[in-house]
Amino acid sequence: MTANTHPAYSRRAILETISRLWAWLFLLGMVVFFSIAGNGFLTPFNLQAILANMAILTIIALGQTYVIISGGIDLSVGWVMGMAAVISATIMNSWPESTPMWLIVVSGLVVGLIAAWIAGLVNGVLIARLNVPPFIATLGMFGIARGIGFLLSGGMPVPIYVKGLGFLGNGFLFYYHPTAGWSFLTPPAGLVQSDLRNMTGYFPFIVIVMLVMLLLAHIVLSRTTFGLHTYAIGGNKEAAMRAGIPVARRTAAIYMLSATFAAIAGLLYNVRFTNGAANAGEAMLLDTVAAVVIGGASLFGGAGTVIGTLIGALIISVLANGLVILRVNPFWQFIAVGIVIIIAVLIDQAREKFAQE
Amino acid sequence: MSYKRLRTPIWIVVLTLLLLALGACTAVAPAAPAPAAEAPAEAAAEAPAGDAPTVALIYGVRGDGFYVTMEAGARAKAEELGVELIADGPAQFDPVLQVPILDAIIAQQPDAICIAATERTALIEPMRRAHDAGIHMFSVDTYIGDTSGDYNVEDLNWMFSYIGSDNVEGGEIGCSAIIDAMGGSGKFYISTTQPGVSTVDQRVEGCQNAIEATNGAVELVGLDYNNNNSSRAAEQTAAVLASHPDLGGIFGTNLFSARGAAQAVANAGLTGAVRVANFDAPEDAIQALREEVVDIVIAQLPYEMGQVCVDYAVAAINGDLDAIQRRYPTGYTIITRDNVDTTEAQQAIYKSE
Repeated sequence: MTANTHPAYSRRAILETISRLWAWLFLLGMVVFFSIAGNGFLTPFNLQAILANMAILTIIALGQTYVIISGGIDLSVGWVMGMAAVISATIMNSWPESTPMWLIVVSGLVVGLIAAWIAGLVNGVLIARLNVPPFIATLGMFGIARGIGFLLSGGMPVPIYVKGLGFLGNGFLFYYHPTAGWSFLTPPAGLVQSDLRNMTGYFPFIVIVMLVMLLLAHIVLSRTTFGLHTYAIGGNKEAAMRAGIPVARRTAAIYMLSATFAAIAGLLYNVRFTNGAANAGEAMLLDTVAAVVIGGASLFGGAGTVIGTLIGALIISVLANGLVILRVNPFWQFIAVGIVIIIAVLIDQAREKFAQE
Repeated sequence: MSYKRLRTPIWIVVLTLLLLALGACTAVAPAAPAPAAEAPAEAAAEAPAGDAPTVALIYGVRGDGFYVTMEAGARAKAEELGVELIADGPAQFDPVLQVPILDAIIAQQPDAICIAATERTALIEPMRRAHDAGIHMFSVDTYIGDTSGDYNVEDLNWMFSYIGSDNVEGGEIGCSAIIDAMGGSGKFYISTTQPGVSTVDQRVEGCQNAIEATNGAVELVGLDYNNNNSSRAAEQTAAVLASHPDLGGIFGTNLFSARGAAQAVANAGLTGAVRVANFDAPEDAIQALREEVVDIVIAQLPYEMGQVCVDYAVAAINGDLDAIQRRYPTGYTIITRDNVDTTEAQQAIYKSE
C-alpha cells in the first residue's frame, strides 16, 4: 500500500513545487537568455530602467491582486488612475512658485486619493450592497472615470509646471562615475557630456516607492485579519458570511484599496512624465490582470499573493525590455504575454485537479 | 484512479519542453555577442572610438507608412555615411509604451538618438535621461516642450535639433485648399487623433487659421478626437454628417483620421459633395484620392526627415556643430487628382514596405 501511494504523493509534491516555482524559473530563464543574447541588457542602467518602468503597472496591480483574490475584478483601475492623475496635476499647478515641493506633492496625492476613493466607494457599494457583478460595476466606473478625466483636462494632458518635479520621478538616490566617484542626489559636478556616458545612477526614487508599496501590500495581505478576510471572501463568500466576517464592508474596502493604489500610481505618472493625462492608464488594465494571474491568483478568488503579482509584472516588463533589445517586433510581446497567461492558468488547473483527487 | 493520475504529468512535460526550449536558446546564443554585457562602463568608453558610430531611430508607432518611409530615409543616409542604424518604436502611439523602448535603446548606448516623441511633456524627462547618458538627442517629426519646437530655450537647449514639418503651415495649406474646393464657404469638420501630440495639435491650429481667414464664411461645426482609430473616426464623422447633412469639407489630421472620415462620407453616399483633405500620404490615401473619396492629400517628407536626422547625428558625433540647424523644417507636397501621376507627387507617397 505504501508502495502504491508514494509515487503519486511525490508526483503531487513535484506539481506543487512546479506550480509555485515555474514563474520564477521562467523569469530566470528569460533574464539569462536576454543577458546572453542582448547587448546592454545586463547593465545597472537597464535593469533599473526595467524596474522604474514597471513601477506604475505594479502599483495598480497590487490593488488588482486584492480584488481578484476576493473573487472580483476591477476594470476601472486604469481610468481611475488617469482621472486621479489629471486632478493631482491640476492641484499641483495651482500653487504659487515658492511653495515647498513636499507640500505640492502631498496636496496632489491627497486630492487624487479623494477622487479615487469616491470611485472606489461607488464600485464597492454597487458590488457589495447592490449586488451588481464586479465586471459590470467597474466597467461602468471605467467609462465614468474616463469621461471625468477627459472633461477635467479638456481632452489635453495637463502639463505640470512645477520646477524639479520631473526629478522626483526620474532621478536617482546615488550617482556613480568611475573617476568623479559617488555623489548623492545630483550627478557629480563638472562632467562634460562624454564623461556622462560612464555615469550610472543607482536607486531610482520611483523604484523605492514601488518597493515600499509592495512591502505594505504584502504585509497587509499575509499578516492582518483584513488580508485573511480577503482570502475568505474569495474562497467562499457564504462561509465567510457565516463565520461572521463583515463581507459587504470588507468588499467595499477592497475596491477602495484598489482605487488607493490607482491614485498613488497616478501621482507617480505625474512625477515621471510631468503631466497628468486622462488616458495615462489606458495601456495598463490588461497588464494588471495578466500580472496578477501569472502570479498564481485565481480569477475565481481565494488564491494569489503580492509576491506572485510582482513576478507577473517582472515577467511582462522584462519581456517588453528584452524584446526591444533583441530588435524583435513589439507586437510579439502581446503574443508572448498571452502565452504566459495561458500557461499560468493551465498549471493552476492541473494543480486544482490534483488536489481534488 | 492511477489511470487518472497518469494524465497529469502532461503539464510537467509541457513545462519541461518549455524550459528545454529556453535552455536551448541560451545554449546556442553565447557564441557571438556574449562579451559585451560583461563590463558596460569600460566597454562603453571604447565603443565610440573603435566601431562605426551607432544612431538609433525611435519612431512613434510601428507599421505606419510614414515612419517606415522615415526609417528608409534614415537607413539610406546611414549606409551612405557608414554608420550603424537601429530603429524601433511602440505598438501604439503612447508614451507609456514608448518610454520603456527609449530606455532599452539607451541601455545599448548608441551615440545619437532621433526620436519622434509620442507626447510633448511626457517624453522630456526620459529624453533628458538619454542626454544624461551621453547620447546626442534629436527630435524628428514631433517636438517636446511647449515652445513649438524652438530648442533655443534654457530647459531644452540640450536638444540638438528638431527636424520636422511646420505643421501649422501644413494645416493651413490643406484647409485652404479644401475651402477653395468648397467654393469659399460652408460647414467644416475636423477629425483628429488625440490631444497633446504636437504635430496634430498644430495642424488643427493651422486649419483653424485658414477657417478664420474666411471671416465667417466657413463655419467649424465640430472637432473630434478619434484616438488614432479609423473606426472611431468613421463613427464620429457619421454622427456629424447626420446632424449636418450640408457639411462641405472635412480635414483629417492624419491617415487614420482621414481614412475613417472618408469611409463615413462614402457610407453616407456623399462622395464628391463633401470634400475631404487627408493629411499624410500613404498608398491607400492615394487610392482614395483616385477613387474621388478624398480630394486633397497633404504629403510630408518623412524620407527627408530620416535622412537629415542621421546626417545631423553624424555631424554631432564628429563635433561638427556648425552643420546643424536648431530647427530644420521639411516641406510639403500637395497631391490632387491633377498632379498625382507626376514624379514629384509619386516620390512624396509614403511606402509601407
